[in-house]
Amino acid sequence: MKFANLFRKELKELLTPSTIITTIVMMFVLVFAGNAFGGIIEDSVEQMSVMTICDKDQSQISKDLIKQLTISEVDEETGAVISYDDSLVKLVDIQSEDYAKELERLDVNNAIIIPEGFGDALLNGKECEIISISKMSSSATLSNISLNDSAVESIRQIAKTLYIANKGISLEDIAKSETLVTVSPITIVADKSAPVSSTLISSLTSMQSMFVPIVVYVLIMFSSQLIMTAISTEKIDKTLETLLSAPVSRLSVLLAKMLAAGTVAAFNAIAYMIGFSQMMGSMTSELPSGIDADKYLSELGLTLSFSGYILLGLQLFVTVLITLSVSLVLGALAKDAKSAQSLLMPIIFMAIIPYILSMVMDLKELNPILRIIVYAIPFTHTFTAAENIMFSNMGIFWGGFAYQCILLVICMAVAVKIFTTDRIFTVTLNFGGKKRAKKNKTLSENE
Amino acid sequence: MSENVLEVKGLSKMYKKGVYAAHDVTFNIKKGEIFALIGPNGAGKTTTIRMISTLLTATEGDAVVAGHSILTDAAKVRENITYLPDEAGAYKTMKGIDYLDFMAKLYAPDKNHAKEYVERAKEICGLGDRLFDKIESYSRGMIRKLLLSRAVMSRPALAILDEPTSGLDILNALEIRRMIKKLAADEGMSFLLSSHNMLEIEFVSDRVGIIAKGNLLEIGTPEELKAKHNAKNLEEVFEGMVKNSEIC
Repeated sequence: MKFANLFRKELKELLTPSTIITTIVMMFVLVFAGNAFGGIIEDSVEQMSVMTICDKDQSQISKDLIKQLTISEVDEETGAVISYDDSLVKLVDIQSEDYAKELERLDVNNAIIIPEGFGDALLNGKECEIISISKMSSSATLSNISLNDSAVESIRQIAKTLYIANKGISLEDIAKSETLVTVSPITIVADKSAPVSSTLISSLTSMQSMFVPIVVYVLIMFSSQLIMTAISTEKIDKTLETLLSAPVSRLSVLLAKMLAAGTVAAFNAIAYMIGFSQMMGSMTSELPSGIDADKYLSELGLTLSFSGYILLGLQLFVTVLITLSVSLVLGALAKDAKSAQSLLMPIIFMAIIPYILSMVMDLKELNPILRIIVYAIPFTHTFTAAENIMFSNMGIFWGGFAYQCILLVICMAVAVKIFTTDRIFTVTLNFGGKKRAKKNKTLSENE
Repeated sequence: MSENVLEVKGLSKMYKKGVYAAHDVTFNIKKGEIFALIGPNGAGKTTTIRMISTLLTATEGDAVVAGHSILTDAAKVRENITYLPDEAGAYKTMKGIDYLDFMAKLYAPDKNHAKEYVERAKEICGLGDRLFDKIESYSRGMIRKLLLSRAVMSRPALAILDEPTSGLDILNALEIRRMIKKLAADEGMSFLLSSHNMLEIEFVSDRVGIIAKGNLLEIGTPEELKAKHNAKNLEEVFEGMVKNSEIC
């Protein structure tokens, strides 16, 4: 009985409404993320099921090769083709070498060009080249699922079979067939292109999409915790009352706090930018294979210019200011240290949702309703800022920045309103402790 | 200028419609006088004090501190008062001396005055070398002495002390009471105290206001109140009033 009594008490202490709310919200976040991921994967799979091919060769070999790519069903026992599905291959005509424009005109993200002379070269056992073009619109992991790699592999296999079928089966021919088809990769970002594999570029940008959000998340949480602890401690210790009864205006007290917090935010933003530029430098230095990744990233516009860094730093600064002003208000309304901790929840959720989503998917590809919800979270624009600058999505960047600036003004106005009125002493927020807060408020009002 | 340092006229604070935390409170404090508001928890002492300290806005009435209205001239009021909240703390990561310096600079018109305030606070608090230690290492009594010295270092027209000795042991409480009496007697400082410790108030105050349920019920010297209610001490005065008017 004594143990049960102790257990009940401990459980009550731990299982507060705030912990229950946190768990439920986290569950919804995961469900929401799952649905969003599902949608993106579905779209990618749909796109992946169609290969876009431009046959400039128009030889029997290239036609046979494309025909082989349309095989949809094979007898497992005999290996005989049961059916073909022409919709598996989309034949297009790529007229110019401005591949960015061509892909945009064709409304596709990937294409393979079989150049003129491909068939002859294959029949003569000479090296034959195909061009694999991939367009990247985001550095998020799921957005770069491309069909080209598997298509190229299929072409290699089919070309090998066709070569052997034409030349007869000798060990020399089989060995030669392995190296016949070479791939000339082209990666496109916005209106720029570079002769480099999209897989390589994707892996480099994925590193950014993994690391950058971590840094942003830590920065938001650090700033939030910093100011919330400071202000709630000041209120709980009643040093705020002492300060506000001194011959200084309340606006000065608030401005001093915001300015100090802003200075810390600026310091954080600068430190972040230095770290980020160093990280980018290390990531894009020459790779062991001799590929100058820095050059290609630069050609594709995937490195930040000085003005890019300035824009990124500016947005980060505004983000931290929003965090600080929201935290300042929440901290000022905290009843006690425990409730101050609970009040961090909204900040955590506002940071963790875009953090997870932006890391794995291109938010532009979300369905409109989900996109509005995610873009309404102010920190979303910070998590996607670097990517938007690099991928030339400047409309989205500036829209997000303007939205954040408006929010900042609103948050500051609320902070001023609370600090310059009785609310700073009479209103308390206490997630999960309504009854206790109500009781405490009544007591404090009557004192 | 009137002889009164503080004139409170019909001061009221209503949080919800019709529910007053303080209602029609009227009293005054003369120069060099120690005036105490006594009453049970939730009586309206802190609300009244917070209104006079310009922390809360009054719903009705006014208070005039050294000729300045809390309604129309709050900034000037703050120049003439200091406020020590109940169970207040100080910035724990600061050293005691740095805290005094920080607060002195808020009250002083220039650096020289700030320096003078700090010297005076050092003398009053009697913390000696401990002032150079961080406040987080201080005992409750030491913090209270530090805060009290902060509250009086600028020689304000009115020092407002909410429960000045709450939570302190007998020796520390006695020391602080004596300090308050000395400052009033020697330097002519005026004090507005609040407490629910009737014996402390009887010892330290010149006049007392008994407040309950937001209403100021009686004002007088401890002797007058004791005589009027035929009681041996203020506790008995208060007990008698409770029985008569159910003010708790």
